[in-house]
Amino acid sequence: MARYYLVFSKAGYAVYTSHLDMQRFFKRAFARAEIELAFSNGFNPHPKMSFAQPLSLGYSSKSEYLEFQTKEELSADSIREKLSAVMPEGIDILRCEQLPDSGKSLAAMCVAASYRIFIRWDEQEMGCKASAFDMRGFLDQKEILVLKRMKKKKEPKEIDIKGKIREIEWAAQDDIIIMSTELDAGSDSNLSPDLLIQAIGRYAGVTIPPENVEISRVDMKLEGLGK
Amino acid sequence: MNTIHIESLLKKVEKPGRYIGGEFNEIRKDHAAAGTTFAFAFPDLYEIGMSYMGMQILYNIINHEESLLCERVFAPAVDMEQLMRAQGVPLFALESKTPVREFDVLGFTLQYEMSFTNMLNMLDLAGIPLHADERGADVPLIIAGGPCAYDPEPLADFVDAFLVGDGEETLPAFLKLYGDCKAAGKSREAFLQEAVKIQGVYVPCFYEPVYHEDGTLKEVRKLYDGAPDRVRKALVQELDLAEYPVKPLVPMIEIVQDRAVVELFRGCTRGCRFCQAGMIYRPVRERSPEKIFGIADQVTKNTGQDEMTLLSLSTSDYSHFEEMATNLIDLCTERHVGLSLPSLRLDSFSFKVLNEIQKYRKSGLTFAPEAGTQRLRNVINKNITEENIFSSVRQAIELGWKHIKFYFMMGLPGETLEDLDGIADIAERVMQLNREMHVAGSSRFNVTVSVSNFVPKAHTPFQWAPQDADFTEKHDYLSAKMKIKGVSFHYHDDPVSRLEAVFARGDRRTGYFLEQAWKNGCKFDSWSENYSAEGWQKAEDAFREKYGYGTDFYRTRERSYDEVLPWDIIDCGVSKAFLMREMEKAKQAVTTDDCRIRCNGCGVNTWAECPLEGIHG
Repeated sequence: MARYYLVFSKAGYAVYTSHLDMQRFFKRAFARAEIELAFSNGFNPHPKMSFAQPLSLGYSSKSEYLEFQTKEELSADSIREKLSAVMPEGIDILRCEQLPDSGKSLAAMCVAASYRIFIRWDEQEMGCKASAFDMRGFLDQKEILVLKRMKKKKEPKEIDIKGKIREIEWAAQDDIIIMSTELDAGSDSNLSPDLLIQAIGRYAGVTIPPENVEISRVDMKLEGLGK
Repeated sequence: MNTIHIESLLKKVEKPGRYIGGEFNEIRKDHAAAGTTFAFAFPDLYEIGMSYMGMQILYNIINHEESLLCERVFAPAVDMEQLMRAQGVPLFALESKTPVREFDVLGFTLQYEMSFTNMLNMLDLAGIPLHADERGADVPLIIAGGPCAYDPEPLADFVDAFLVGDGEETLPAFLKLYGDCKAAGKSREAFLQEAVKIQGVYVPCFYEPVYHEDGTLKEVRKLYDGAPDRVRKALVQELDLAEYPVKPLVPMIEIVQDRAVVELFRGCTRGCRFCQAGMIYRPVRERSPEKIFGIADQVTKNTGQDEMTLLSLSTSDYSHFEEMATNLIDLCTERHVGLSLPSLRLDSFSFKVLNEIQKYRKSGLTFAPEAGTQRLRNVINKNITEENIFSSVRQAIELGWKHIKFYFMMGLPGETLEDLDGIADIAERVMQLNREMHVAGSSRFNVTVSVSNFVPKAHTPFQWAPQDADFTEKHDYLSAKMKIKGVSFHYHDDPVSRLEAVFARGDRRTGYFLEQAWKNGCKFDSWSENYSAEGWQKAEDAFREKYGYGTDFYRTRERSYDEVLPWDIIDCGVSKAFLMREMEKAKQAVTTDDCRIRCNGCGVNTWAECPLEGIHG
């Protein structure tokens, strides 16, 4: 048995493949590449393979992490080549590296993710020009509140996301706001960019329609992973 | 060629993965370089259409022809359709996002009657006039195939040409001819006159039905002398020579039948009298075990799918079943692929096989006696005895199966309440048997009984039989009897079964009923949340208004042998004389042997080779 991770990108129409579908997709891709994954024990064995972080439907990404274990040790390069040969349009394998046999999972290592966000800012819909939106004021609020749908509960709960925003840079151009941001992403603290968008809309007093937003994950911070 | 931008729509719909294409093994070709561009439409959702093997077979064959191009199109779900209509986005093909309207030919596969409204809706969404006689050369030629093309008349006004029978040879020949005629500057009419020379091509505008006053058919007048008197289905005689897709498309989203599919054979020798597939796909043609193994090997490699299933009307009838099953089990075990063997006859070998492939997780076992008493099973020629059922059930319980499913039909010709009692009786006795056997975990044992409503189909011995006027009373009767501990009982709603019965044996006039229903908003009719009772009722009223009788005329009326039937124009390969003999035997509850025991003279061997006739005689 040997342990690896790979980094892949997701672009074009492939962004409309959900997290669950990506799991099934990679399971099949490994089979097509004739790379035999190690299986868990038990009555219902499943391949040892997991993502560092799920990616929301509709987001593109330059940096998705998948860790897996193979039955036999192979060179990381050959894995990358074999998998690359069986990818559909929009999903590209960027690199593959071997991992120590034991150690924390990538999901446990993941603490933050950075995103590039485009918001199409229609002056009429939004009530002001993109350049006139007071981003500073938005960020300087004492609390940045959003409604979050909690697991198992029906009623959404109001939460403060201010502490989960690690970094944010922005620029306004004509009718677009472009942001580069790093947000908490991990099991301890997590913030979906969707909630950040919701908070911006709330501050502007409008609802930003999803089709006006493009989100791309640029990178992921995995603590303890030698890059 | 225009392409359509759908990104803004995709962000708003429930399942955008339905509309994006780009699956592994997708084939993309250059529109400008193609002699004929073909859009293959499945008039239902992506998840359903992509589960249909016939589309994968033809997609592969057409795209392998240098001069042809094939792209896919499915019915958009209701949320997507609303957005498309609101934003003026026309129906587009998945591969290149080209509007369907810009293709040369648009072909619909008709797998079930209840997708007919979706077909009309898709034409409308594509911006194509519904009626063939309202269309010019600026829109695609509309063609259709699949089992419902064996009674093409309900759709005759909307379709330019039907391709009846196996499509592997006919469809590429038809499309190439189209390209040649287009290049030669010939008219649509001239092309269609050429096309009817291809076996299996039915061009409805070359025929005109003439009716008696009472609404029955008097005759069908031929309007073009070169058109055949009857259109015989196309047949692929040697399945081993037909190209099978070993690199099928692998969907990114989950579809209904999400697994590798290997077709074993076409046709069936059992001769169940209600079964259309058992008649229209004659003669039985088998793939060789080597070919089947080769396909299984390549398909699992090229898709990476971890489940595989076998396709045929009756798996264990395959001549080399034991050899084939043993080899496939080995292959699948080695590759961590789960194998499922549908429609098995449960003999000792089948049990051995099932026990092997369901070692840890025993899914349910399924039996389809179809009728509750031996008398009625003889009527329908379903040659399965009570002894067969109970000895199999006993073995299944011994081997640890905890769930058994039964399929029955209601409303079969000659059915009495006694036959319904028989259904409850079987369920009751299976539960009783389980209690008596005292195997471990017997308290978890349960039985599901599903009863569907009989729909008489064209080209079967029961094509002259009426459908029950109303199933409700029988449903209530049986429901009361089926309150048995450990047994769950399901039945189908009748409105959909009634509509199926109208279109399964409809004439050209029923196209008006269909169009009215579509105008009233009917679509996705087999999805109960979409079914519009009001829309269909208004269509019924409009039909009655126009023709002076209701659609029960097609449904609940017993037809006489000398009546001209709307689907007589199609020669499915089985003779009408045979169907009549079978109907007469049904009336006397007399069975007919499996064709492997002796030839029953259905007529198919008068023009095609029937390799399995009498082999066990």
